[in-house]
Amino acid sequence: MKKWLGVMAWVVAAQAAAEPVTIPAGPYQPIVVLDETVAELAMPAFKLDATPVTFAQYLDFVTKHEKWRKDKIAAIFHDGHYLANWPAALTIPEGYEKKAVTQVSWFAARAYCAAQGGRLPTLNEWEYASLVYRQQQGLSDQAYAQRLFGWHSNPTAYSLQDMELNHSQLAYMHDRVNEWVDDFQLLITAGDETDILSGSCGDSARFLTDTGEASYATFFRYQSRSNYRPQSTTGTLGFRCAYDME
Amino acid sequence: MNKSTMAALLMLSLGWVSASAQQAPQHHHDHSHHVTMEAASVNQSDSIYHLDGLWQTHRGETIELSQLQGSPVVISMIYGNCATACPVLVNDARRIYSALPPEYQQHVKLVMVSFDNDRDTPAALADYVERYQLNESAWTFLHGNDTDIRTLATVLGIRYRLRDDGNFDHSNLITVLDKHGRIVERIEGLNRPVEPTVAVLKKMIDAGHAHAH
Repeated sequence: MKKWLGVMAWVVAAQAAAEPVTIPAGPYQPIVVLDETVAELAMPAFKLDATPVTFAQYLDFVTKHEKWRKDKIAAIFHDGHYLANWPAALTIPEGYEKKAVTQVSWFAARAYCAAQGGRLPTLNEWEYASLVYRQQQGLSDQAYAQRLFGWHSNPTAYSLQDMELNHSQLAYMHDRVNEWVDDFQLLITAGDETDILSGSCGDSARFLTDTGEASYATFFRYQSRSNYRPQSTTGTLGFRCAYDME
Repeated sequence: MNKSTMAALLMLSLGWVSASAQQAPQHHHDHSHHVTMEAASVNQSDSIYHLDGLWQTHRGETIELSQLQGSPVVISMIYGNCATACPVLVNDARRIYSALPPEYQQHVKLVMVSFDNDRDTPAALADYVERYQLNESAWTFLHGNDTDIRTLATVLGIRYRLRDDGNFDHSNLITVLDKHGRIVERIEGLNRPVEPTVAVLKKMIDAGHAHAH
């Protein structure tokens, strides 16, 4: 009987992964322009997980892919704090099943998504999805900015909140964790040899296409991302996976 | 939230980030087709041969990076359509190789990995090798999938970005790996003096022989 309860618990955990959401194709105007000559991008359709990956889902992954267990992972793939709050290699902290997994490096996040037949979203895909989400939610610029500034005021508390997992639309884009993107190291402008981070405030502000509060809020996220290294494993950084359209 | 609070928060954020930004940008001289990207720093104590993934060589073989183990490797990333920095990077690797005494050359591998999964097929890379007369067995040009290319570049600390015009912005970086695949030397920029790199390679090869005999 006990054995069967164990199996049932596993089935429940595995079911938690809802179907990814289709993000429709459309025009996208990045708030930070990477290419001076391109103000608007034509984004193709793609799919994105409705919610960030949970601890339970990540446990399932490391159980099946040994090289990503915290006791097996190669040093080159993390900064020493990979899954640091797990009591054991195959044990998540108690009560963390429905929280967004964190302390996962860029390498590990990519390996997880590859194992699901997906990949990390690109920076543009993630930010485009964020705009789609704001439209779907009817989130005003002010409400969005307040939500982001709220998150930045205490990211750990937000990261530790449980999530509902049966969403058919995007959820928790701005109020749980920052999320890895595949090309997070790209914050540099072309034709101006100025890294957005190395510049002064004035330099950086030049690359903002508008100075409304929503853009400022989004810019915070760009700044956070630029501070990561691929080995980073912070307690406020998680991820969700993207998938190409069939 | 009022504007001045937001501005203060923004400045706070910028200050926090720039305090930990890696290095000030170096201004290499101007290239008309692409922009040099600053190389990211990497942990030097680990082997890059942990990376999975299969690559195709310009000779048509399929290899894993770990098959490069056993001798020092001079590795860089380029793309075939690149008319500016890339030929210089290839030539820099050749200059390092040529500056080694002949008895050392056979112990060194020169590996050029393409950013350009679409255009730099193994056949296109073979043409490149012909065009630049890189026929010595030391050279290996690699074609891989986009995921593995991004992973390798990240581990080496090479940043790159495909532009709309089909060119790539990228860091100009040559990396020397020891026989275990650990990064021992990074040469950022173009047309740098080769002597320090040659000295590092000779020392590693001498040490290898001391162990072997």
